Amino acid sequence: MNLFSSFTLITLLLLTIPIMTTSSDNYKTSNYPLYVKTTISYAFITSMIPTMMFIYTGQEMIISNWHWLTIQTIKLSLSFKMDYFSMMFVPVALFVTWSIMEFSMWYMHSDPNINQFFKYLLLFLITMLILVTANNLFQLFIGWEGVGIMSFLLIGWWYGRADANTAALQAILYNRIGDIGFILAMAWFLTNLNAWDFQQIFALNPNDSNMPLMGLALAATGKSAQFGLHPWLPSAMEGPTPVSALLHSSTMVVAGIFLLIRFHPLTENNKFAQSILLCLGAITTLFTAMCALTQNDIKKIIAFSTSSQLGLMMVTIGINQPYLAFLHICTHAFFKAMLFMCSGSIIHSLNDEQDIRKMGGLFKAMPFTTTALIIGSLALTGMPFLTGFYSKDLIIEAANTSYTNAWALLMTLIATSFTAIYSTRIIFFALLGQPRFPTLITINENNPFLMNSIKRLMIGSLFAGFIISNNIPPMTVPQLTMPYHLKMMALTVTILGFILALEISNMTQNLKFNYSTNIFKFSNMLGYFPTIMHRLTPYMNLTMSQKSASSLLDLIWLENILPKTTSLIQTKMSIMVTNQKGLIKLYFLSFLVTIAVSMILFNFHE
Amino acid sequence: MSLVYMNIMTAFMVALAGLLMYRSHLMSSLLCLEGIMLSLFVMASLTILNSHFTLASMMPIILLVFAACEAALGLSLLVKVSNTYGTDYVQNLNLLQC
Repeated sequence: MNLFSSFTLITLLLLTIPIMTTSSDNYKTSNYPLYVKTTISYAFITSMIPTMMFIYTGQEMIISNWHWLTIQTIKLSLSFKMDYFSMMFVPVALFVTWSIMEFSMWYMHSDPNINQFFKYLLLFLITMLILVTANNLFQLFIGWEGVGIMSFLLIGWWYGRADANTAALQAILYNRIGDIGFILAMAWFLTNLNAWDFQQIFALNPNDSNMPLMGLALAATGKSAQFGLHPWLPSAMEGPTPVSALLHSSTMVVAGIFLLIRFHPLTENNKFAQSILLCLGAITTLFTAMCALTQNDIKKIIAFSTSSQLGLMMVTIGINQPYLAFLHICTHAFFKAMLFMCSGSIIHSLNDEQDIRKMGGLFKAMPFTTTALIIGSLALTGMPFLTGFYSKDLIIEAANTSYTNAWALLMTLIATSFTAIYSTRIIFFALLGQPRFPTLITINENNPFLMNSIKRLMIGSLFAGFIISNNIPPMTVPQLTMPYHLKMMALTVTILGFILALEISNMTQNLKFNYSTNIFKFSNMLGYFPTIMHRLTPYMNLTMSQKSASSLLDLIWLENILPKTTSLIQTKMSIMVTNQKGLIKLYFLSFLVTIAVSMILFNFHE
Repeated sequence: MSLVYMNIMTAFMVALAGLLMYRSHLMSSLLCLEGIMLSLFVMASLTILNSHFTLASMMPIILLVFAACEAALGLSLLVKVSNTYGTDYVQNLNLLQC
């Protein structure tokens, strides 16, 4: 009881210490990355204690220490909510971040600004933890915006590259559109329920919760890259691989889903919101899986895989299983981060080559990375009794046996088979066959930082699902009986995907190049969504504003209607009716003479 | 009539002659126009003040206002001509091109 709150606060405080010593000498040495990594590992250990207390006794806690301000009737204070979700997520996030920090000590070794990189990663982690442990919407929004800013800074890490700047700006813009939904929900809660605290919102249990839930759905669409606001996620692969591993696979992009999970007492009473989330998630998972099938950049394939899994989490919320979605968040973090780290290892070893058409034959050359990649892909596709199985298979089973939208279900199953297909594609092109990279070999995976970090996540990918699902308190009853074909459905479509992909990939070895079909072009250009949205909308906006403001108002109404028309009419008329020839002096002279003569004449007239 | 009026009338006649007879510059005609206005103003003021006809003493002031307006108009025409030809020689004004 006594250790719970103190260890929670110690965890959060420990992480801020490397940031606060930025101006000291510690920041300028080359020891700073090691210092940050060690700090995170200590924070992981201290965070395990409250988690284990929660697992053992089921005790939750709210820490509300500092009253910040009171605005009319609402009271804002600094409060941390340590419940099921934040207790389980914080150790997972810290564990994954620990491994990624160690990995980036190898990956970013030659970067002159490596200390700043670690500071940014640590700042990101702190804001993510603020988001996760927030008890009121205001604090959550602080964390929300914080992860957005750090994402911007980290995606544009190599800011000399124009593509990286564009991608960072894209991330900010799409996240901003989602923030509109967040603010809408906050405003609704403020005006209708007079509360930003979760406890009060859930106690009041509003019946007409359509508007705030749609706002939160928009926020999740922006932050978690659901369909409609999704292009920023594949573009965010411009950042360094540790950034992709931390932000855009395990931690930041699940913030939107986490927000919806936090509001599960509201969503479980609102069938409309559930249907919307279900369909949105189904579209996302299918579309992004389809886009992943024909990409050639290894990081983009994994990014689309992340997007597809986020769609799956949204589907899970849509069938009213928030705890399963949360379990999938935790397990997904392990293998997705590991997949990104393996791709980083491959990229560095092949001298910054990211195109899978120029990799190959790494099966014998990089055995450790090969092992990790295959284990990660198997965990992703839901191989029985690996990590992904415990969450993904349960999700598919729950979806199969629930009274839900059949179309969404079909889309999810097809996307599951697509997962297997693109995972096979990565393995086939990157690892198998003969080498397709240049012959000057720089392959080296002997660094202990790299190997230890991937080893840790590999053990996590193998066992974390088992450990976590056997230790969490049961919140819902899983579906225990179902027909045989429904039970085997997930496994069947996955195996089908594997076989199909292997067969097709083998067939592509000795083909002559034929021009792409329309379906291929659709998938390769990401469904033409970025092409249309990024060009058409700004063009129409700018043209419309130019026509209405500049052409219509300025040039026509203010300039042309009265002033210039008047002068034009006057000149034309005067040209038309004039019959003068100049000769001013003559006219003046005749005038003078006339006046003089008439004056003389009429003076002497009686 | 007293000598003053005679004097002012002479000034008026001279300025009128100058307005209607000028050699080359348009500007001299404008200056003479100002001279006409000035002499008219002085004559009107003298008459009104002498006969203590207070009611009409706003007439010279209004005359002055209108004189200023027409001087501005004349100057703007001069500037337009000068913009086209560079000088204000009257022999330039033989083409009625707009």
